[in-house]
Amino acid sequence: MLLQLQNIFKWVNSGGQRIFLLKDINLKVKEGEFISIMGPSGSGKSTFLNVIGMLDGFDEGSYDFLDESVHQLKEKHRAKLYKEYIGFVFQQYHLLDDLTVQENLEMPLLYKKLKGAERKAMVADMLDRFNIVGKKDLFPAQLSGGQQQLVGIARALISSPKLLLADEPTGNLNSKQGEEIMELFKQLNEEGVTIIQVTHSEKNAAYGKRIINLLDGRMI
Amino acid sequence: MFKNYLKIAWRNLMKRKIFTAINILGLAIGFGSSILIYLFLSHHLSYDNFHENSDRIYRFVTEEHRDNIDYEATVPPAFANEFRQNYNYAEKVAKLAIWENTQLDFELNQQKIQVKEDMLFAEADFFEIFNYPLKEHISTRSLEEPNTAYVTVDMAQKLFGNSNPLGQTMRLDNMETIEVIGVLENFPRATMLEEGLIISFETLKKLDDFAGTEVWTGMTTSLECFALLKPNQDVDAIETALLELPKKHRSTSKNRHEYQLQPLADVHFNPLYGGVDPTLLWAFGIIGLFLISIGCINFINISTAQAFYRSKEIGIRKVLGSFKNHLFWQFLSETFVISVFALGIGVIFASLMLPSFNSLFQTELYMESLLSVQFFGFVALLLILISFLSGSYPGILMSRIVPVLALKGKLNHNDTGGSSTRKVLVVAQFAISIILIAATLVISRQIDYAINTDLGFDKESIVMVKIPKELEAVQLESLTNRLDYISGVEDVTACLSSPGGSENRWGTGVKYHNRPEYEEFSMQVKLADLNYLNTFDLELVAGRNYFKADSITEVLVNEKFGKKIGVNNPEELLGKKFEANGGYVKASIVGVVKDFHDGDFTQEISPIFMAQNPQWYDEIALKINTQNISTTLTQIKGTWKDTFKDYIYEYNFLDDRVEEQYEEEQRYLSLSKIFSALAILIGCLGIYGLILFYVGQRTKEIGIRKVLGSGVANILALFTADFFKLILIAGVFATPISWYLMEQWLQGYTYRTEIHWWIFAVAILSIMTITLITISYQTIKAAITNPIKSLRTE
Repeated sequence: MLLQLQNIFKWVNSGGQRIFLLKDINLKVKEGEFISIMGPSGSGKSTFLNVIGMLDGFDEGSYDFLDESVHQLKEKHRAKLYKEYIGFVFQQYHLLDDLTVQENLEMPLLYKKLKGAERKAMVADMLDRFNIVGKKDLFPAQLSGGQQQLVGIARALISSPKLLLADEPTGNLNSKQGEEIMELFKQLNEEGVTIIQVTHSEKNAAYGKRIINLLDGRMI
Repeated sequence: MFKNYLKIAWRNLMKRKIFTAINILGLAIGFGSSILIYLFLSHHLSYDNFHENSDRIYRFVTEEHRDNIDYEATVPPAFANEFRQNYNYAEKVAKLAIWENTQLDFELNQQKIQVKEDMLFAEADFFEIFNYPLKEHISTRSLEEPNTAYVTVDMAQKLFGNSNPLGQTMRLDNMETIEVIGVLENFPRATMLEEGLIISFETLKKLDDFAGTEVWTGMTTSLECFALLKPNQDVDAIETALLELPKKHRSTSKNRHEYQLQPLADVHFNPLYGGVDPTLLWAFGIIGLFLISIGCINFINISTAQAFYRSKEIGIRKVLGSFKNHLFWQFLSETFVISVFALGIGVIFASLMLPSFNSLFQTELYMESLLSVQFFGFVALLLILISFLSGSYPGILMSRIVPVLALKGKLNHNDTGGSSTRKVLVVAQFAISIILIAATLVISRQIDYAINTDLGFDKESIVMVKIPKELEAVQLESLTNRLDYISGVEDVTACLSSPGGSENRWGTGVKYHNRPEYEEFSMQVKLADLNYLNTFDLELVAGRNYFKADSITEVLVNEKFGKKIGVNNPEELLGKKFEANGGYVKASIVGVVKDFHDGDFTQEISPIFMAQNPQWYDEIALKINTQNISTTLTQIKGTWKDTFKDYIYEYNFLDDRVEEQYEEEQRYLSLSKIFSALAILIGCLGIYGLILFYVGQRTKEIGIRKVLGSGVANILALFTADFFKLILIAGVFATPISWYLMEQWLQGYTYRTEIHWWIFAVAILSIMTITLITISYQTIKAAITNPIKSLRTE
């Protein structure tokens, strides 16, 4: 078991009223799964993903990740946990504009305090694997959207996370680029990476082995 | 990791060039000023710290107890020998006397040379007490002989060029011939000795019938006495033992002396005894701190305002594994990069400013003295301190940014925080500027008051020339008569000193009328001929001027004298007996002069008496016509030269002399002007940065307002109002602070200007005007932009 959410509730108080963002969510994820989360705008997909990614908290329920009770951890430990095991991919890519492709890839490794030679080897490995060696000295603004997302995924994978969380990874891409990214996800999943993605598109959702539908914060 | 931080810091800085420039410039000015201030302070703190036994070296000083206490950095001339012979506390005792601007005549390569130099007469033991090493000397001769002298290497070069200084002879003041028997290494810059010519004390005995003799009756500040005590002496015990000296030698005097030992380290820093006022040093330090803090405040304001634009980067970094402290250190290293640049520019700035700084403060500071371990320590400390001061708060704010919101772009400016901190800091900046402007106004008003108030005597177009040697009364009269013939000269008087000139106190021994006791107070004496009153336009309130006589039979006194002895009606003083200087003067009072400001405005008007006694006259004062001044001056010189063929002619104007009394105040004024200008400049940079940011933040609002019919003026008012509010708050804080500080400063003056409320109003209004100018360009630019543009971009 990679992670387990039980009776998760999350709400905000607005004008004396409690508005639920997530309502009674229960989810078990085993290693090697590929899950697609679907639902209309405002159904809580991103919030759900952020809770899983520990970027956001929740108000009620329990969350176990690799046998650790996330809801009982202090912020600092929680951060340590997700930094070690979870990689994030965003719709807007979120590369750092001031860094080259190579430097963007290297950044997470810096925070892990790896040695220079080691970092170089890992970055070279990734550039190779994603076929972007020729682009290593370019800045994000010099790349197409698809290429930027490729770098984004490479960066998420460089520290070998157990879980890859992707929030509308193809949302800003044209259909051909989108398809290539989804093929890549499929291949990564076959290599053993657990993936949870949020998507609007039925077609992309179909790449997942399991589909979860959300409506108004509830699983249906 | 650090390399990575620096790389990113560099790219970030390059991306926001304007803000980087503002930050660097602001801090650079702060650094530059701190470096100058460091040079200044370290120069003063290093004074005379190179003498081997400096902890055992003392100067003898005197407290004069009369109706009040006066402090003099000297002792009676006979003190040194008494202490040497009858006490066993000291290893060495030495006297020295300073003569300023005294004429030297000598021949060099068959050419006659005449110069004026400052010089020192010293007993040979002086060089045993202090470490001023001898470079070369004629070994058979010594400074214990009369008519011998040492020169420093620089002085030898100045006087004799490349000729061998040893064995050179010079006429001193046309009276004695002295021979150079030794060359001293140049003195360190920070030492009490400034004179490069040292003459044996035995020579002084031939020249000066007061300082060179063994008397207890009076003192002159040109004489100083130093001692190297034996190890482990109890200074208090010595001072107690010395209490018997006045009893023994000055038993009848109403001026009760107390002799004390002043440690060498105190000599440079004790204003009571003519040292530097430590308040000036403190003021410097605090102002340096002010400037640096204003620079830091700019940095903090701009960085926190910019935090929004960096929130995305911070969100990404956090998601990718960065912890809060990583971000904190990353930001700090950016600050560090900026500080290093600012430091570099600051050093350049300091070296450019140094010459003007030196001339303003009459110092000889050199950039080379920066090449010391202490300076590098200071700079390193400053760098770290500045980086932390300005970097840590923005760093904390940024590391607190919540990644989810940042990544979704759901953050707004208020979420990145710091807006109230910014306001507080801007208020602090404004307050500092207001305080400095108010200080500048008060100081300049006080100087203005001191110089332009009616001093009770005429100081305009009066030329002062020296009488370099004693003349027979007849000769002197013939000289003044000839000067009076010059058509441009209206009045001439020969005197000991002009009003506002040097002090001459005849300490004790004033006896009034038939009172049996001597009075307790001390008196200023103005010895002068009959024309003194006319020339300086002094007013008689009672009686008449004295008649011409060969001896002192009649005196004039001022009103203050009457007040001191308790006679308020000047008429009552007339005809009364007056005895002074232990019976040297025995006369009757024939007139009372209206009080005039003889000293500067820090001093109360002293009681004064005037009498005629040609053998004491030192200078001639000439009231001249303002037409054809240069012709008149040439004629005066010609006439003077006829009488004093062998002397160098020099003159000065009395009003300059009066202004010179306020040299220190003028320096304070320049200081506060320069520093307020700098503070305002740095502050403006910060305001400019903030307005750029505010305008950017409110582009949409401006667009909407314009669409709804608002004009450029309304929009300018919108932004101006925010700043003006802050300035008013700053004014509320700054006014009492600067009021208090300036009131304290003015307390040092007996006669002082008043602090008016409008001074603060002016300070606040000028800050408002400057702010308005600073913000209007960006604001008006934003206000005249077509609103369609700004609304579309949203």
